[in-house]
Amino acid sequence: MKKITALALTSAMVLSLAACGGSSSDTKTSDDSKKASKSDVEYVQDKGTLVVGITDFEPMDYKDDNDEWIGFDADMAKAFAKSLGVDAEFVEIDWDNKVMELDGKTIDCVWNGMTLTDEVTSAMACTSAYCNNAQVVVVPSDKADKYQDKDSLKDLSFAVESGSAGEEAVSGEGYDYTAVSSQSDALMEVAAGTSDAAVIDLLMAGAMVGKGTGYENLTHTVELTTEKYGVGFRKGSDLADKLNEFFKTSYNDGSMKKCAETYGVQDAIIEQK
Amino acid sequence: MDLIMKQMPVVVSALNVGFLQTLKLFIVTLIGALPLGLVIAFGSMSHFKPLSWLARLIVWVIRGTPLMIQLLIIYYFPGLVLHNPIWGGGEAGRFLAAAVSFIINYACYFSEIYRGGIQGVPEGQKEAGLVLGMTKHQIFFKITLLQMIKRIVPPMSNEIITLVKDTSLARIIALQEIIWAGQAFMKGSHGISGAIWPLFFTAVYYLIFNGILTVLLGRLEKKLEYFR
Repeated sequence: MKKITALALTSAMVLSLAACGGSSSDTKTSDDSKKASKSDVEYVQDKGTLVVGITDFEPMDYKDDNDEWIGFDADMAKAFAKSLGVDAEFVEIDWDNKVMELDGKTIDCVWNGMTLTDEVTSAMACTSAYCNNAQVVVVPSDKADKYQDKDSLKDLSFAVESGSAGEEAVSGEGYDYTAVSSQSDALMEVAAGTSDAAVIDLLMAGAMVGKGTGYENLTHTVELTTEKYGVGFRKGSDLADKLNEFFKTSYNDGSMKKCAETYGVQDAIIEQK
Repeated sequence: MDLIMKQMPVVVSALNVGFLQTLKLFIVTLIGALPLGLVIAFGSMSHFKPLSWLARLIVWVIRGTPLMIQLLIIYYFPGLVLHNPIWGGGEAGRFLAAAVSFIINYACYFSEIYRGGIQGVPEGQKEAGLVLGMTKHQIFFKITLLQMIKRIVPPMSNEIITLVKDTSLARIIALQEIIWAGQAFMKGSHGISGAIWPLFFTAVYYLIFNGILTVLLGRLEKKLEYFR
């Protein structure tokens, strides 16, 4: 009796496994054939939402008092979604996993002050640059006088966000550095004295270090590299071209500039030709 | 210190929201993994070899790989490989994927504890049941299972407390549990930026919750004392 029950159980398990395999390969083939005929724009419009992958990053994407996502990027994303006739849905992601999130279709775009590095442009379909930024060195304010040029930085130990433009900048200069998981972790390293300096975005440094911020004893000095921000979509997506057109019209009719002024980034935006 | 006092109300309310997610994941995992573990334990103890091999294979794979990788595979694999993002990108989908990963993972650990507990009940107890004319079913439920429960409370308590802290791994698929909420203040959230202390402060939540659990599980252990 017991053996029969066991046999029945096992065959049920095996069958369900087989069934799982069968159904998943079915969906795969049907999806593949759909993919061939369906563009990313149609995919998003069918769904009715543009899922925007972000991190909490003032002044690009952050929450207001009503828990609503605002910021230069968030407002532009909402306007772009509206032009497609869909709603923008914002999802906080782990920045390290952004390509996986895109390819796995858990998000539709990465729109969060993303620096257009070789790594990013090779893994995603990116728009043209819409905003300027720089990588700056952050050091304790009381030592800032000593570190005003690249030569003086040679012997420092740096903390940078892993995979960020900051990491590219310090390894390009040949500095000694530790890669940590976020730009804010890099700042914590400097505040705690475990690293001498950090390299982070200028826009972020403007909001996070110096008087009136959480890191009053830190300041930023040398600009290592300048860079440009873009928006990333799944590789091969036609949404990137669509957004380029949208950037052009909103630059020309002044709505982009107006949006930038709301968040104080008007000097950084790039002319869209 | 003044600054911390000023930030405290905002931080605590944000951490509470995060801790609620942690708690939800903890409870859902227990509800799913406690019975599933028993099923796997029966499977691995089955006299029918293919079933026991299958159960042991699953336990080996799940215990032999990091939970963090399992989270990544369960959340991203359907979309990346099967081109069918079954979980979706929203918060609810991330929670569901995390819950599934945790239930499978913890069920495997629990199953080994159950197995140890069942096999640890002396053979003489079953023989006594047979002598009394009990059926196999009665022996299992009235003798073996009852004594197993008493035996497994200490090792289970250990796993349950570990589970509370392991929930923090779910941040890898951007589930916004308490560590995520604490870390958010480092770069800026709710109008506070560059605050490091909230991340460390999350430890207090874990400590208090585990303190409560330790007391409760200790009481349970005492209640089952009469078996000795």
